[in-house]
Amino acid sequence: MTLQPEDFWSFTEWLLRPKAFLESALLQGIVLVVLAIVLGLLVGYVISAVRYGPGEGFYAVARAVRDFLRLDLPGTSARRIWALARLAFKEAIRRRVLVVVGLFVVGLLFAGWYLDPRSSDPARLYISFVLTATNYLILMLALFISTFSLPADIKNRTIYTIVTKPVRASEIVLGRVIGFVGVGTLMLVPMGIASYFFVTRGLRHDHEVADIKDLGGGRFEGKTSYDQFHEHTFTMDSPETPGGAPLGITDMVRGHQHVVRQIDGKYYIDDPEGALRARVPSYGELVFTNREGVLQAAGIDVGNEKMPGGYGSAGVARLVGVTSGPRRLEHGYMEGGTLGSGIFTFSDVTKARYPNEGGVPMEMALRAYRSIKGDIVSGLNGSITLRNPDNKQIESTPSTFVVQEYEIVEESLRLEMEGTDGTQTRKLSLFDDLVTADGRLTVIIKCLDSEQYLGMSVSNVYLRPAESSFAWNLTKSYVSIWLQMVMIIAFGVMFSTFLSGSVAMVATFVCVLLGFAAEQVYDIRYYMDKGEAMGGGPVESMVRLLRQDAMTTELDVDSVANKVIKAVDSIAIYTLDAIATSLPNLPKMVGTAEYAASGFDILDRCWLAMQSPRLAM
Amino acid sequence: MAETNAVAQAPTKSGASSPATSSNVVIETRNLSKDYRDFWGRKKVSALKSLDIEVRQGEIFGLLGPNGSGKSTTIKLILGLLFPTSGRVLVFDKDATETSKNERIGYLPEESYLYKFLTTDETLDFYGRLFNLSGAERKRRVDHLVNLVGLQNARHRQLREYSKGMTRRVGLAQALINDPDLILLDEPTTGLDPIGTREMKDLILNLRDQGKTVLLCSHQLADVQDVCDRVAILHQGELKELGRVSELLKVQDVTEVHARGLSEAAKEEIAQVIRRHGGTVESIDNPTTTMEDLFLNIVRESDRRPGARRVSSTGSDAAGPGVKN
Repeated sequence: MTLQPEDFWSFTEWLLRPKAFLESALLQGIVLVVLAIVLGLLVGYVISAVRYGPGEGFYAVARAVRDFLRLDLPGTSARRIWALARLAFKEAIRRRVLVVVGLFVVGLLFAGWYLDPRSSDPARLYISFVLTATNYLILMLALFISTFSLPADIKNRTIYTIVTKPVRASEIVLGRVIGFVGVGTLMLVPMGIASYFFVTRGLRHDHEVADIKDLGGGRFEGKTSYDQFHEHTFTMDSPETPGGAPLGITDMVRGHQHVVRQIDGKYYIDDPEGALRARVPSYGELVFTNREGVLQAAGIDVGNEKMPGGYGSAGVARLVGVTSGPRRLEHGYMEGGTLGSGIFTFSDVTKARYPNEGGVPMEMALRAYRSIKGDIVSGLNGSITLRNPDNKQIESTPSTFVVQEYEIVEESLRLEMEGTDGTQTRKLSLFDDLVTADGRLTVIIKCLDSEQYLGMSVSNVYLRPAESSFAWNLTKSYVSIWLQMVMIIAFGVMFSTFLSGSVAMVATFVCVLLGFAAEQVYDIRYYMDKGEAMGGGPVESMVRLLRQDAMTTELDVDSVANKVIKAVDSIAIYTLDAIATSLPNLPKMVGTAEYAASGFDILDRCWLAMQSPRLAM
Repeated sequence: MAETNAVAQAPTKSGASSPATSSNVVIETRNLSKDYRDFWGRKKVSALKSLDIEVRQGEIFGLLGPNGSGKSTTIKLILGLLFPTSGRVLVFDKDATETSKNERIGYLPEESYLYKFLTTDETLDFYGRLFNLSGAERKRRVDHLVNLVGLQNARHRQLREYSKGMTRRVGLAQALINDPDLILLDEPTTGLDPIGTREMKDLILNLRDQGKTVLLCSHQLADVQDVCDRVAILHQGELKELGRVSELLKVQDVTEVHARGLSEAAKEEIAQVIRRHGGTVESIDNPTTTMEDLFLNIVRESDRRPGARRVSSTGSDAAGPGVKN
């Protein structure tokens, strides 16, 4: 999981973007609302002008606006909206949409057969399965219930009995949306609860103690039985207080471990721990030094390290044509056995925040790039040095670690360690010597193997002040699904006011697809603006396909045809770009599942940021 | 007989030819026309041409005409469901497209377009909410209307289980939920059996007696004849006739005398008197009752004495029941 720069913004930063107001979410929201109103008026005028002529059409639109402000808005009644919402709700319920929940549960029952318990991280598999399943099921359901109801009413003419009552069109639309959201919520909640139990129960398993050896001095060493396709080894220590029962912990296998205890001469192994987590990371700032030890903003680019994605909320900047390339997070590398290093500076490192006696927990998910094959089985060696950011003389003795690729290395920064304060070597205290008064701490990471490289980005190394509860984290994922659902319902009802059911569904679906494909559209536009040949828009791509041209060559057609193709493409792409910008960033929202699955606490601030524009809709 | 009473009542009720003043005109159409167009805006059919009618406070106004004559279009224009191509509709002196006029209107559509998944109670409660009625008020009116249309025993069943007549009653009840001043009934008696029809007609008359204005459209001529004060006859979108039912139907040069207990000789004598005064005797006959009366009598009798079979005594007055066990 790689975070993008925008994930590090605070909510206010995201809302206002102090230095780049054009990218601010607030501005984007306002512009979208204004744009929607202007577009609505324009379309309304064109339609009524066609019908009644240009002059009369203008008055018709003006009258509609006046009536809306003077009569409809003050006349809107909560009781009516509520009645219509209840109607939509009852309709869906009496049409037995709740069967879908049953299907989901049945799906879960069978899923147990297909989710491989032999995977190296079953928790991840289970969580991402339930979240993805719920997400797509709910989105599909939202698509169906929201788009077919109003057209059916219009077709059956039941709408006649509604509109001949003092009901405003806005109340009908709002009522539907609220009603369907109610239905969706009613389905999402049991699905969420079922998922929670599916995941927790699915991962729970027992071991027996298969073999135990007394090492003497109250120490034991043993092996568990082979269950769920794995086994653990463990060590146990007798406590120092006489008469206390020996207690131990197994090694980490498949993302979990067990506590082993001895009670009355018998050995018990507890339920698995550590599989379902919600780490709360605290990220720092990252700079690099090159092999001569000179500070640099970026590390070495070893190629193809630019993660796709990350235009993020470029906001109105996109619409007004201030185009920028993808804001992508790149992994920087430093060379082993040189002065090259990655320097993280963490802030807010205080005793209150990290009360653990064992030290400050730090996790690293580093990448390795090997320029020589060497011993491919064992990991690369690295070292961690702690330094006082204000007084660079105070530095700890480097401690080493081994990087296993694609695994998170868990370290603990001890409270006391060997180090130097510039004049002498002595025991340093983490909080007193290394952390500054305002709570900053520098962590320097180096690669020890020469001609090998370690790569990292800001999101790869973090301190872990707290662990949030898994249940709450899962809830947050579900709220994220809920918000996507609200949005699709809003779109569906909107389209169903003027399109027939199936057409409205397709239209909504296209919007969802466009939401998912937004980043690709942004990419194409970016290359078009830069004049880089990267396959071009739809027509150009088609021509290239037929001619079997490579993507990056100049389009080899005569100049008139070239101009026509480019013009048509740019119209298509700019339109798509504008629409995609106004659509919510669905991949980002779906991405919250990734947080939960990788065992990270969904960051409250970015969670909040993602959701706010949807709430405003 | 009930029908004749109704017709006889009509003139006395709302003063025979009082000129309409703007204060008691409930619906007014001015030069109202409606063309239906296809997708490209080409004119397909002219459903209504320059209609000018006024419906006055407290009368039952009938729109008559064959299928496709523009009756439903007129009702939809009055309700603001359609926009007129030209001309205007004023309802309670407001433009028909204004939503606020709906507060005082009850509408029974051609077929009861109701939500089949709701029960009677839920349906009425729902429509009551649309009128922003408070909970207590809704409960009171729902109880009242359920009794009025006679659905006490079926109020907790979903409408999908209802017969056509029952759905119609629910439709009527929902049209009355807001205690409207103007009631628009589109084909109120279709799908109803003779008893239902009779009850519907009585209800319409009853509403008129409460001072409400009723506009109904129908092609069941008997209904219109029985209940309407005034009718407009439409054909191919044009107004062909407009006036009081009693006047339109009166055959000016024919006199009808009803008498009971006359001997054959007395009948002959009356015929002679007529001839002496220069009149022509067209027929002297026993009147026949209508099928409707016959049917209603049988059903009433059967309700009173379940299991009995009624055989009409030939030759005697068919309306008088002769019962044989």
